[in-house]
Amino acid sequence: MLLTKKFTTEMGKGASGSKRLSRHATGFLAATMDRRTFLKRSGVAAGAGAALSQLPFNMISEAKAADAKPAQGGEVVVRRTVCTHCSVGCAVDAVVENGVWVRQEPVFDSPLNLGAHCAKGASVREHGHGEHRLKYPMKLVNGKYQKISWDQAINEVGDKLLAIRKESSPEAVYWIGSSKHNNEQAYLLCKFARMFGSNNIDHQARICHSTTVAGVANTWGYGAMTNSYNDEANSKSLLFLGSNAAEAHPVSMLHTLHAKENGAKVIVVDPRFTRTAAKADMFFRIRSGTDIPFIYGMLYHIFNNGWEDKEFIQARVFGMDKVREEVMKWTPDVVENACGMPEADVLKVAETMAKNKPGFIIWAMGQTQHTIGNAVVRASCILQLALGNIGVSGGGTNIYRGHDNVQGATDVGPNPDSLPGYYGLAEGSWKHWAAVWGVDYEWLKGRYVSKEMMEKPGMTVSRWIDGVLEKNENIDQEPNLRAVVYWGHAPNSQTRGVEMVEAMKKLDLIVVVDPYPSATAAMAAMVRQDGVYLLPAATQFECEGSCTASNRSLQWREKVIEPLFESKTDHEIMYLFSKKFGFDKEMFKNIKVTNNVPSMEDSLREINRGTFTIGYSGQSPERLKLHMKNMHTFDVKTLRAKGGPCDGDYFGLPWPCWGTPELKHPGTPNLYDTSKEVKDGGLNFRAGFGIERDGVSLLAEDGSHSKNADLTTGYPEFDHVLLKKLGWWEELTDAEKAKAEGKNWKTDLSGGIIRVAIKHGCAPFGNGKARAVVWNFPDPVPLHREPIFSPRPDLVAKYPSHDDKKVFWRLPTLYKTLQQAADYSKDYPLIMTSGRLVEYEGGGEETRSNPWLAELQQEMFAEINPKDANDKGVRNGEYIWVETPTKARLKVRAQVTERVGAGTVFLPFHFSGWWMGKDLLDKYPEGAAPIVRGESVNTATTYGYDAVTMMQETKTTLCRFAKA
Amino acid sequence: MTVRRLLAIPLAVCLVALGVAGCGEKPQVVNYKQGKYQGKPDSLAWENERFKGDQTAWEMQMRQRNLAQNEYQRIN
Amino acid sequence: MARMKFLCDAERCIECNGCVTACKNENEVPWGVNRRRVVTLNDGVPGERSMSVACMHCSDAPCMAVCPVDCFYKTAEGVVLHDKDLCIGCGYCFYACPFGAPQFPQDGAFGLRGKMDKCTFCAGGPEANGSEAEFKKYGRNRLSEGKLPACAEMCSTKALLGGDGDVIADIYRTRVTRRGKGSEVWGWGTAYGRPDQQPQTPPQQQPQGGNKS
Repeated sequence: MLLTKKFTTEMGKGASGSKRLSRHATGFLAATMDRRTFLKRSGVAAGAGAALSQLPFNMISEAKAADAKPAQGGEVVVRRTVCTHCSVGCAVDAVVENGVWVRQEPVFDSPLNLGAHCAKGASVREHGHGEHRLKYPMKLVNGKYQKISWDQAINEVGDKLLAIRKESSPEAVYWIGSSKHNNEQAYLLCKFARMFGSNNIDHQARICHSTTVAGVANTWGYGAMTNSYNDEANSKSLLFLGSNAAEAHPVSMLHTLHAKENGAKVIVVDPRFTRTAAKADMFFRIRSGTDIPFIYGMLYHIFNNGWEDKEFIQARVFGMDKVREEVMKWTPDVVENACGMPEADVLKVAETMAKNKPGFIIWAMGQTQHTIGNAVVRASCILQLALGNIGVSGGGTNIYRGHDNVQGATDVGPNPDSLPGYYGLAEGSWKHWAAVWGVDYEWLKGRYVSKEMMEKPGMTVSRWIDGVLEKNENIDQEPNLRAVVYWGHAPNSQTRGVEMVEAMKKLDLIVVVDPYPSATAAMAAMVRQDGVYLLPAATQFECEGSCTASNRSLQWREKVIEPLFESKTDHEIMYLFSKKFGFDKEMFKNIKVTNNVPSMEDSLREINRGTFTIGYSGQSPERLKLHMKNMHTFDVKTLRAKGGPCDGDYFGLPWPCWGTPELKHPGTPNLYDTSKEVKDGGLNFRAGFGIERDGVSLLAEDGSHSKNADLTTGYPEFDHVLLKKLGWWEELTDAEKAKAEGKNWKTDLSGGIIRVAIKHGCAPFGNGKARAVVWNFPDPVPLHREPIFSPRPDLVAKYPSHDDKKVFWRLPTLYKTLQQAADYSKDYPLIMTSGRLVEYEGGGEETRSNPWLAELQQEMFAEINPKDANDKGVRNGEYIWVETPTKARLKVRAQVTERVGAGTVFLPFHFSGWWMGKDLLDKYPEGAAPIVRGESVNTATTYGYDAVTMMQETKTTLCRFAKA
Repeated sequence: MTVRRLLAIPLAVCLVALGVAGCGEKPQVVNYKQGKYQGKPDSLAWENERFKGDQTAWEMQMRQRNLAQNEYQRIN
Repeated sequence: MARMKFLCDAERCIECNGCVTACKNENEVPWGVNRRRVVTLNDGVPGERSMSVACMHCSDAPCMAVCPVDCFYKTAEGVVLHDKDLCIGCGYCFYACPFGAPQFPQDGAFGLRGKMDKCTFCAGGPEANGSEAEFKKYGRNRLSEGKLPACAEMCSTKALLGGDGDVIADIYRTRVTRRGKGSEVWGWGTAYGRPDQQPQTPPQQQPQGGNKS
C-alpha cells in the first residue's frame, strides 16, 4: 500500500502507534471537560451569561441546560470577518448565537478566496473559544506567574515605564508592535510610541519583507505587490523564486492552479522540492542564498538572445546598461558553479519566461531574509523590467506578504524609520502629521530627548537584543535598552535565541501584550524571577477594523464576539496606557473614546486624512463596509465591480486609492499600468528620485504616460509650483488653495493638488523611470555576496560580504570580519534553512494552541536528505541534535526525505516551548501553554543582517547534526 | 448434560445448514431499503422548517451550492 | 435524484488540510478521531500527489454488508449513515472499508460520541434534522440546511468536490478538458466513464454504480 500519511514517526502511524497520541488526547479532553470549574475558580465568570460566552464547543448546550438562565432561542447573527493567518484575505462568515461563535461558514461571494480556506482559515472559530489563551493579567513573582488585576497591571507597568523614561530617556524602552493588529491599531501604536517620545518601535515586517519594501520602492516607487493573486488568472508564466505558496499562502494556489489549468507555465526554483514545486510544470533546485546568480544567469540568456523588451527599457527604465555589464560576468559556468543549476536549465526558465508573457515572479521570505535581501529583490525587479513584465495585467512582481495585516502595518503602522504612510522622520513629515493629529509640533518635539533623536530612525526588532547587550559606547543613543514591550509579536521569530535570553536576563522590565502569552513568557520565566508582566489582548475577532491584504486591498472586519475572559482590545490597552502616561488627550483628539475603547472608524478617518503618499486616503470606513456587503458584485478576474452600489470600484480599494473618499477613486489593482487612466486605477512609475542623474533624465521618455494624460512627457511630482506653472492652480477651490499653498501632493491636506492632477489624467507622484541602478544603496547594481556563514569558502573569497558598519540603525553591525573570522563550513558543513508549515503561522503559539491544527503537526522536526542521514547513521523518526556555530543545540525528530537536497537541512520556524532539549511547560502561566511545543529553530540561528534594512539572515546558515 | 443442551446441538446444526444454503441463493451485499434496516428511521433532508418537504426546492438549492465549488463560474 | 459523491482532484490538492480542520470545526470531532485526512503519494519527490480521503459513501458499501447488527443505512441521496444506538463498536466495518473511514475513539470502546464514528457527508444521522441529539452523536446536518459538506465547500483550491455526482463530474470534466489531460490519472474512468465519449451525458444516462463503468 502506497497510501501513507506524510509524517510517519511513531506518533503519526495511526492506530498502531497511537499510544502517546491517546494519552495526549486524554489530557486535552480532560482539560476541556474541566473548563467550567476552572473558570469559576478563577473568578473570570461573573455570571451565567459570562460563563456561557466562554464555554467551548459542545459544552455550550450542556451549560444551557444546567444553568437554565440564558434565554432560549437567543439571537443568531452572522458577522463577516477576515482570516488572520496570512495575507490572502480570506473572508469568513461567523455565526454567533447568544454571543458565542457557534459556526463558521464559507463566503463564496468573496472575490479573493471564493469561500476557500486552508487548515488555518477553516479553524479560526477556535479563537472564539481560546482554550489556551492568556485569561487575565499576570505578573512574574519568584519565578511563577500570578494573577493580577488590570488596574494593578496598568499602574505597575505604567509606573515602571515612566520611571525608566525619566531616569534613562524614552529611548530606553523598546516597543515591538504587531502585523496582526488591524490598520487602526497599528497606526495608533505608531502614534503612541511617538508620543511616548521614541522611534524605538518596530514590528514583524522588519524580519519578513523589509528588504522588499526598501528594494522595490527604491526601484519604482512603491514597495508592495504590484498586482493581485487574482491577476494570475491573466498570466502566462509564474516563476516562484523563494516562495512556497502551497504552504504559506494556500488559497493563492486556487488562482495559481486555475491559471496553470488555462495554460500558464508554473516554474519553481528553490532549495527544497516544496509542495508548490509538486504542483509546478518545472522544478529546479538551487543552493540556498544564490538567487542573484540564478537571476543573472537568466538575464545573460535574455540579453544574449535579444529577448528583452527594448522599447519598454528605453522609455521607462534607468540604468539597465550598467546591470547588463554585471550580468555579462555571469556566464553559464560561473552561474552553475555558484547556484548549482546547469546552463540548459537556466536557459529553459529564461526562455519560458521570455516567450510566455505576461508573467509573474513571485517571492516571499526565500528572497528577503538574507544579508543581501535588498539586492536579491532588486534583481527580481530588474528581471521583470528587462522582460517588460511590469505595469501590465498578468505580469509583475507578486510579493506574498505573511501576516493578515503586515502590509497595512508596514504602510501605516509602527516603523522605526517612518511616520505612517512612509513619510519618514524629517521635520516636514513631523509637521504634516502634527497637523493631522491636531497637536503642536513643539509639544511633539518636547516628548523626545532632542530634535536629533526625533529624526533618527530607531533600532530594529531584529537587533533589540544588541540594544541591551552592546557596550554603551558603541550604540548611537544615550542609554541601553532597559525595557521591552512585546505587543503581539513572537520572540522565536527573531534569530540568535541564545543571546536573546541573555538580553532578557539583563532587562529591567518585560511586558507581553498578546492573546497567547507566547514564548516570551516562557523564555523570560526561564531566566528571571520577576519583572515580567503579561497582559491578555483580544484577537481580531473580538474587535472591528480594517486590514490590508497582500494585493493592497483593504477589508473591514466586523466584531464577531466580545473580548473573551478578561482580555481587552489592543486599542483599549493603548488608551489606558496613554492615559497613564498623560497624553490621551493629544492622542485621541480626533478619535471618539467610549468606555475606554477608541473608535476604529474615527481612527481610519484620521489615517485617511493624512496618508496621501500611498493613497490610504480614499478608503473610508463607509466605502469599505459597502464592499464587504457587496462582494458578489466584483469580478474575480479583474476585481472590478460591475454595477451595484460599488460600480467601478476595485475590491477593497487597493492602494493607492487617491485623494479624499469624496473623489471616489476606485483604487489601483495593478501598479504602474499605463493602459488605464489614473482615475480608473492606471499609473506610471513614480518620479521619486529626482529629475536627472549623471546627465541622464530620470523622467519617463516622451510618449510614455498613463492613458489620456494631459502631459505626454515624463513629469516630476506635483506641488503648488508645478500646478501654477501648468496653469492648473485656478482649478482648485478657494478652500483647497488655502490649504495647498506651499504644499506638495503629499502634504496638501485638502487633497486638491491630487484631485486636479488626476483630473488631467496625471499621476500625483509624477511620471518617472524605474531604477535598475539604486545609487543610494550599498550595491547600486545588485551584487551577489556569499552569506556570512557560507558553505563555500572558495566563493567567499570571490563574493565577500560588506564591510562592517560602525553605526547602522543605532548599532554596530558586522559583515566581513565575522564572515572571514573562520571557515565555519569545516565544522558545520550543512546548510541550515527554515520555512513555513501550512498548519501553523509565525511563531506559532496561537496556531499550536488550536487543537484542530495542533493535532496535524505534533512535533518539531528537521528534514534531512537520505545521504546525510545515512552518513550520520540517522534513521527516519529518530531524535537528532542539530547544532550551529552559535553552539546552540536543537533536539528534533529527523524526517529523512528527498525534499531537501544533500547538504541542506530544513527546519520549520513555528515551534517554541522547548529550550535545547528541555520542555518549558512549567515556565508558562498555568493553563496557557500551547498544546504542541518544540524547539525553536531561531534558538540556533546565527548573526547576519541586510545592509539596508537590518533584515535578519534566516535562510542560509550552517549546521551539523548527530543522532540524539 | 441437560435436555436443553442436547436440544441445542441439532438446532445449531440446522441453523448452520440454513446459513450455508443461503450463501448460494442470496446476494452477498445487503441491499438496504429505506426504513428496513435494524436502526431508527431517519428523516429526509428536506423534511424541515426550511424546505417544508419540498424536494425540488432542496435540490435546486443543492445545485446552486454545488456550483460554488466551481470557480469557472466566476473566473473565465 | 441527486446522488452524493466526493471527488478529490489530485492535480489540485496541495495537502493543506483545510478539509480536515473544516470537518473538525463543523462537527466538533474530538482529538484522535479523523473523519477525513489527506494522504500523499511519493512525498517529497517529483510525482508527489495528495488526496483527501474520507468515507466515499459507496454504492455497494462493504461496511453495510459486514455489519453484524445491521446498523447502516443509505439515505435517499446515497449517503451511507449508521445508527450509533445500535452500533456495538466491533470494528468489522473498519476491516471491510478500503479507505479506513470508520474511526473509533481511542480511549475505550465508547468514546465521547461512542462507538464507530465516520464522515456523514455532513448529513447527521437518524435523529431529528438539526436536533441537539443529532449534533452530539453525528455532527452537523448541513444537507438539511441546504448546504454541502464543510470540507468540500472550504477546500483551498477547490480540489475536493462534494455534492451531486453529476454536477461534480461536470466540474471535473471542465478542468480535464482545460488541462488536456488527466482523465487517465485518477478515478474518472472508474467512477464516471470516459469523458471523451459524451461530454453532455444527460443525467439519466449516467452510470449509476460509483465503482462500475
